[in-house]
Amino acid sequence: MNRSSGFLSWFMDPKRRGPMLIAPAITVLLLVNIIPLMWSFGLSFFKYRANTLKLPKFSWFYSYEKVLTKDNIWETLQTTAIIVAGSVGLQMIFGFLLALLFASQFPLRKILLMFVLAPMMLSNVAVAIYFKLFYEPEFGLLSQFVQSFITGEMYVLLGTPAGALIGVIFADAWQWTPFVMLLVLAGLVSVPKHLYEAAEIDRMSWWRKFTTITFPYVRSLLLLAVLFRTIETVKIFDLVFILTNGGPGTATETIGVLVYRTAFQFFRTSNSAAMGYILLFAVIVLTSLYLYVIKQRESEEI
Amino acid sequence: MLNLTKKILLAFLASIIVSIGVSKTVNAKTVEIIMAAPDWPPTRFMQEYFNSNFPQSGDTEIKLTLDFIPWDNFYTNVAASLTSGEQKYSMIVSDSQWLGAFIEGGYFQKLNKYIDADPELQAIFDDMHQGYKEGYTTYPYKSENYYGFPQFPDNYVNFYRTDIFCNPEENAAFRAKYGKKLPCTYADWEIVVWDDIFNINEFLTRKKGEMMAGKPLDDDIFGVTYQAGKAYDFSSMQINGFFWQYGGDIWDESNQPNAQAEGVVNSDVNVEAFTKYLDLLHTMHPSHRTGGMGIFEMQALYLEGKIASMINWVGLGAPVVDPNLSKVNDITGYSRQPGTMQDDGTISRWANLGGQPFVLTTWMTQDEIDAAFTIIKWWLSYDTQIAAVKAGGQSCMKSIIYSDGYNALAPWNAAYVASMDWQKDVWHIPEFFELLTQQQEEFDKAITGQQDAKTTLDNIAEFQQELLEEVDRIQ
Amino acid sequence: MKKKVIGQAGWLWTLLASVVAFIYFFPVLFIILTAFRSRSDTLATPPKWFFTPTFDNFYHIFFRSMSNSTEYVATGFHMYFFNSIYISGISVLLALLIGTLAAYGFSRHPLRGNDTYMFIILTTRMLPPIIVIVPIFLIFRITGLAGTYTGIILMYTAFNLPFSIWMMKSFFDELNTEIEDASRMDGASERSVFFGVCIPQVKAGLAATSVFALILTWNEFLFSLLLTNKLTRTMPPAMARTIGGEINVDYGLLAAMICLFIIPIFLITYILQNQLLRGVTFGTIKK
Repeated sequence: MNRSSGFLSWFMDPKRRGPMLIAPAITVLLLVNIIPLMWSFGLSFFKYRANTLKLPKFSWFYSYEKVLTKDNIWETLQTTAIIVAGSVGLQMIFGFLLALLFASQFPLRKILLMFVLAPMMLSNVAVAIYFKLFYEPEFGLLSQFVQSFITGEMYVLLGTPAGALIGVIFADAWQWTPFVMLLVLAGLVSVPKHLYEAAEIDRMSWWRKFTTITFPYVRSLLLLAVLFRTIETVKIFDLVFILTNGGPGTATETIGVLVYRTAFQFFRTSNSAAMGYILLFAVIVLTSLYLYVIKQRESEEI
Repeated sequence: MLNLTKKILLAFLASIIVSIGVSKTVNAKTVEIIMAAPDWPPTRFMQEYFNSNFPQSGDTEIKLTLDFIPWDNFYTNVAASLTSGEQKYSMIVSDSQWLGAFIEGGYFQKLNKYIDADPELQAIFDDMHQGYKEGYTTYPYKSENYYGFPQFPDNYVNFYRTDIFCNPEENAAFRAKYGKKLPCTYADWEIVVWDDIFNINEFLTRKKGEMMAGKPLDDDIFGVTYQAGKAYDFSSMQINGFFWQYGGDIWDESNQPNAQAEGVVNSDVNVEAFTKYLDLLHTMHPSHRTGGMGIFEMQALYLEGKIASMINWVGLGAPVVDPNLSKVNDITGYSRQPGTMQDDGTISRWANLGGQPFVLTTWMTQDEIDAAFTIIKWWLSYDTQIAAVKAGGQSCMKSIIYSDGYNALAPWNAAYVASMDWQKDVWHIPEFFELLTQQQEEFDKAITGQQDAKTTLDNIAEFQQELLEEVDRIQ
Repeated sequence: MKKKVIGQAGWLWTLLASVVAFIYFFPVLFIILTAFRSRSDTLATPPKWFFTPTFDNFYHIFFRSMSNSTEYVATGFHMYFFNSIYISGISVLLALLIGTLAAYGFSRHPLRGNDTYMFIILTTRMLPPIIVIVPIFLIFRITGLAGTYTGIILMYTAFNLPFSIWMMKSFFDELNTEIEDASRMDGASERSVFFGVCIPQVKAGLAATSVFALILTWNEFLFSLLLTNKLTRTMPPAMARTIGGEINVDYGLLAAMICLFIIPIFLITYILQNQLLRGVTFGTIKK
């Protein structure tokens, strides 16, 4: 009796409570993530190709230099930025609108909500394959629609750089808007009703009600959604690879596609590691900026 | 009680010893060969046929286990397995272009010493068709270093609609307009050159509702179609053929380090050839404008009756004759693909070969190597090869393809065998993928109309020259 | 008529929502229809909206002829399905448990450098997985985890932890601590404060985290492809077998697989809807 309570109190000692609670999480992440990350980080400082028998040669920033001086990395990052901005932007707008739509109670709400959530439950590969079919000039629904009702010709969406980008952005936004919607919805329904009732009494306009009551509750979740969607979309690979293979030319070649090619097709292993860490650095900088701005505005509010 | 227990224990022990002894005499040992294979019928056949027909002999049992990996991810999976040092596979089905990358990585084994020591293997190698031997087994390309054996040989043939091309009315109309015959039989197609395709495609491109072969069309139709796909090697496979038919070439690996890329890849004849390819493309189905007219997209169009002919791999032929998958299964004929007329009046039909060899890995034990060669001899034997062809596979062993009755085994065999003498391969060097990817990107830009032929080839030549000089393959 | 943003709405709203939902759902509907029709009906031009349904695709999930012989063999699909349920279920539960505890720790007992820890946890999601796949592959092989359930579950738990922690911390941060303090004053132990006061209030967060984590793990493809063997394989790599080969995509077979595969998540999400939409507060004032 004594022994166990002694152990437990050591465990639950207020000083240690914090670390104890977070320890399991940190351990798992360390085991699974840190070692491989260190490995590939280290590898980026060598000159190594996985398909030759030559041993890795330590060469400081050789890989980084190689990667940064080849023109295509900047183009690739730019393409990635376009796709991320486009897709996440659409997700935010439509996610919010859909959440507003479903915020009130109405008949059949639960079933209809499931319809809207369904796209998110499909795998990336499934979405890519069927959207490729939709965009197909001969068999695809898009082209057939355009052919029957607008022009008389087959519509080739993926044949132009702009069209291909739109195609990718649209497919990605379609799949993940439910994610944003769900988070925003969770925020919307947690607004205490009495706040609205008080606002009614004060005869606040709809817009003021929205900005002073609704939005603050929703904001933190909306920001969380944007944060995570951005981080995930930067890595986008399956959708692009299957839909356009990075084409036409290199118009939709994202950093995810480039890293895959460099690592698994060209076997420039250390270059791909360097690319990954350049990307990581860029995302870290952007995310820190983002979080900093959020914190600033939150402290302003108080 | 104890006595009884003792007796039972003893009996138990005895039976164990006996069974070990018995199994020892029946199966001295089992050697298992694990082979990485893409998941499709030709490899499934190999597993099934092995399980049912492999003649075990001697006191060593040989077990062949194919690890089926989806085609789409085959390369990623194999690359990850090899580069991680997993050493899981004894044999691997490889693409001929990957040879360089994985040989230099130390994963694929050189087979010359085994072949030289074994007259049966020697005979097998001599029996292989020269072009395919060079394509599937040699690294560098066309050298005498041998690394593999054929699993599924492949090349392009022309699949065409007999109901359209052999229709008497269509024939009469075509003759009236162009003065030539619309090719119907195998022999007719033998004299077709690419320039004829302009006429054929113009003639056969019709809209929904117009008449064709006596019936109104229920949808638009187009003529002869070939690849224009950015993914993997699709465009390059067709374009390389054009380069060679015009007398041009790609960078010549067998001539390192003297062979150049600059001046060769963007030579005038190559530009001419590529321009012809692009011009012809514009007479074909609009899907090519996406840069996504790969082998499967084309096959889908043909199976659904949207194009009158496709130039595609024999390996994609099985669905064409399958009534569940194909609307044209009983109205398809097979011929060689068109060629290019040369100055001396002959037709050049150079093309890029396809198919896959399988290789042996460098970490195999002697037992495994012996077992592997037993399997290989069985696989390339007459009976097994014929059975494979009957089930949709192919062979490149001269004694088999030139034997009587081979052409009757599959409707496309005649075209396949006749095309074999005109096959070359693309590079085998490790830098293959980098060269290919850039080339595919550039071709894609030309195909989708963003740049012209000359600029495209100049870009490619410049890139290849730079890359190959960097790795000392050009001096 | 005064329209309230939050509140009751009538059948007019339902109509609007139905139209929007239908449009949004349309591609999914296409997939479902494709599961029940033959290939030629799927590729029909113009599109064939009325067709005779067939169950062939569903049959082929479980029995298929692999080579060009007509022998039909069992595909072992049910194994992959159960593996998916098992592996996803456990890793989501683990991520939820470990993540919620950690989030509580970060929220209620902030350490020095709290933000840094949170940020580092976030960065583990930022790299394209293809970069770490080979070292992970190697580590798994050395430690013998390759092809085991433990290995892949560990992997997926780590995938889900960052979102789990960030999400739950956000919910914990929003809670009013007055109730907890009051509870502690009444003599409740830390454990009962946590389980009795905090957890019930963040049920929406738990539900949302579960749904997203489940979806992420359920559909994960690359790591399953490379780190599982025949026994532990999940559905996504199995679905990949419908692509490539002699014919491009077997649209019908893939659609049928998707239909079956989506059912568990669909059910769980439907069940959790109530929790998802209940909201955070007990009607107390936001601090």
